[in-house]
Amino acid sequence: MMKQLFIKSYAICCPDAELLAPFGLLGSDIDKSLIPAAMRRRTSMTTRMAITAAKLACTQANSDSQHLASVFASLGGEIQVTDALCRLLPDDNELLSPTQFHNSVHNTTAGYWAILNKCQEPSTAIAAADDTFAMGLIEVWSQLQQQGCGERLLVCYDELWPQYLAPPIGLAAFACAFVLSTDAEQAIGSLSLPQISEQTEKNFPIEWLMLTESAPAAAVIPLLMALQQATQEQVPLNIKTPIWVSDISALGRDKE
Amino acid sequence: MKNNQILIAPVAITAYSALSASGLGCAALYQDLQANYSKLAPLSLFNVPFPAYVGEIKQPLLSIREQLSDYNCRNARVALTALNDEQGGVRAAVEAAKEKYGAHRIGVIIGTSTSGLYETEDAYGVLVETGKMPDDFHFVTEHAYQATGRFVQLELGLTGVCFAISTACSSGAKAIAAGQGLISAGICDAVLVGGVDTLCRLTLRGFRSLELVANQPCKPMDKDRQGISIGEAAGLMLLEKCHADNANKMKVLAVGESSDAHHMSTPHPDGEGAALAMRNALQLAGLQAENIDYLNLHATATKINDRMESRAVFNVFADAVPCSGTKGVTGHTLGAAGALETIIALLALQHQFIPGTQGLQKLDEECQCQVVKEPVSKQNMHIAMSNSFGFGGNNASVIVAL
Repeated sequence: MMKQLFIKSYAICCPDAELLAPFGLLGSDIDKSLIPAAMRRRTSMTTRMAITAAKLACTQANSDSQHLASVFASLGGEIQVTDALCRLLPDDNELLSPTQFHNSVHNTTAGYWAILNKCQEPSTAIAAADDTFAMGLIEVWSQLQQQGCGERLLVCYDELWPQYLAPPIGLAAFACAFVLSTDAEQAIGSLSLPQISEQTEKNFPIEWLMLTESAPAAAVIPLLMALQQATQEQVPLNIKTPIWVSDISALGRDKE
Repeated sequence: MKNNQILIAPVAITAYSALSASGLGCAALYQDLQANYSKLAPLSLFNVPFPAYVGEIKQPLLSIREQLSDYNCRNARVALTALNDEQGGVRAAVEAAKEKYGAHRIGVIIGTSTSGLYETEDAYGVLVETGKMPDDFHFVTEHAYQATGRFVQLELGLTGVCFAISTACSSGAKAIAAGQGLISAGICDAVLVGGVDTLCRLTLRGFRSLELVANQPCKPMDKDRQGISIGEAAGLMLLEKCHADNANKMKVLAVGESSDAHHMSTPHPDGEGAALAMRNALQLAGLQAENIDYLNLHATATKINDRMESRAVFNVFADAVPCSGTKGVTGHTLGAAGALETIIALLALQHQFIPGTQGLQKLDEECQCQVVKEPVSKQNMHIAMSNSFGFGGNNASVIVAL
């Protein structure tokens, strides 16, 4: 059994930079230069955020995105596209846009990412409500353990949602990408296999709870803060009981 | 390139069940496959503004118990009905696995493309009219992708890993891959995997907008094929690590996966990604192409899928493997298709027969593969493959063995 998974890089895309201020973290806005114009026009906010974070993480890790298998994890995925289509459905005369229809699937981001990077490696799209980030880590762990050695891209993301769906989910938009590896070389930290802990949600910082209730992908923040502060600690990976945790060991190479 | 090293440990399939237009349980499905009988019929569940033949589940569904009423939607009821199919015994096998391994060691990975979207569509009718969602609308526990998987986990009292895979029409096959991976990695001892997808307006009208829905029952691999007939289904399997107690059970040997990196809704014209998924599956299982005794095709009956798939299959197998597409019986069950058709491959092995390709009259001249039109008995079949390809160029090929 693999004892730890190494973190080679991470990158945040958060168009509202103020959301990150309480955590001392820096994020990028959607970086248009990373997405060709034709793809930019066809893609949603969620896909553009996820691709921005993924591109930045791959660049930092010096990873070859053409040969990197990936796991895309999001509670709702393409919710804006799905919402726009659902609004048309009550009228039988409305014609749906074929592009919007194929852009409504959960693996839309994974599909565009593969096209952008000419990457034929396997790519998956998962969802697990509040546990989406924890399950994303477990899926990456499972794939790399089975393969023996290698790297994976993990992207967690959630965009702005209409507030009649599941408030307050979607009040904030957040994406984060990691390059994870079985190899310690150039790692900025490592993590243990996520486990369910006895911990409850009561003692969590209110800023983190509030942001994660609005943007489920912000569940990554305690892990990012541990990496940035170069600490060794057990971090929570979700905000609702049962709490999944992982032991993070940051190596302090984040700020080279 | 000859390499017979097995790269992933097989897992035992200790129970499996299907619910589709063919009815509940594998005996009903086998009966239709053996008779090559189409269950496609005009859509009755709701109205769409065009003619559509679908594979609709007509039989009564079990009700969700009161404590889990937030999860109540057609998708969850379809899952529950398949789970409780006594003949398939999935529920009993999960209970036995709980005793053996503990509830926390059993994962649940369900593939779906639209989850409980059908009820959300009704809710949008209210929203558009009144400006408000109805009070009984529960997005996260009905419509969100994990909803059905989480419902199954709570229904069974499991406490381990649980997530949904939603990669359009390869979801069910990818769930099998994830389940095998979790067992192989030692993270779980057993994983309930499968696919559950139900009819809804968005998929009917969306596929129609892409001009991919046939006006008549679909005709996979036929020279005059006109598009898909959408269906709905649940396919569930309990995967367990192999040991002496389950040595007589059928196995998942490997799942090969790939991405097309070509287009969001159109597969690579030569089936490059599809061929790569089949080759990856063979390589992971330590097998050669000639080891496959039967191939269940994705065969959606769209012009472009069937052309690219026949090229891909010919590239990997030449015309040596008997293959067939079964969507003329059940319809294209989208996110459930990978699981349902893996179960069809299991039935082929169990009953030593090759299913036919219902709807096929005159084979497309371009197709050089050995497409089987009518069901036929075949002895000494041990290993079968099932293909699934989804939007986003997301491909998976599952290999199972007797």
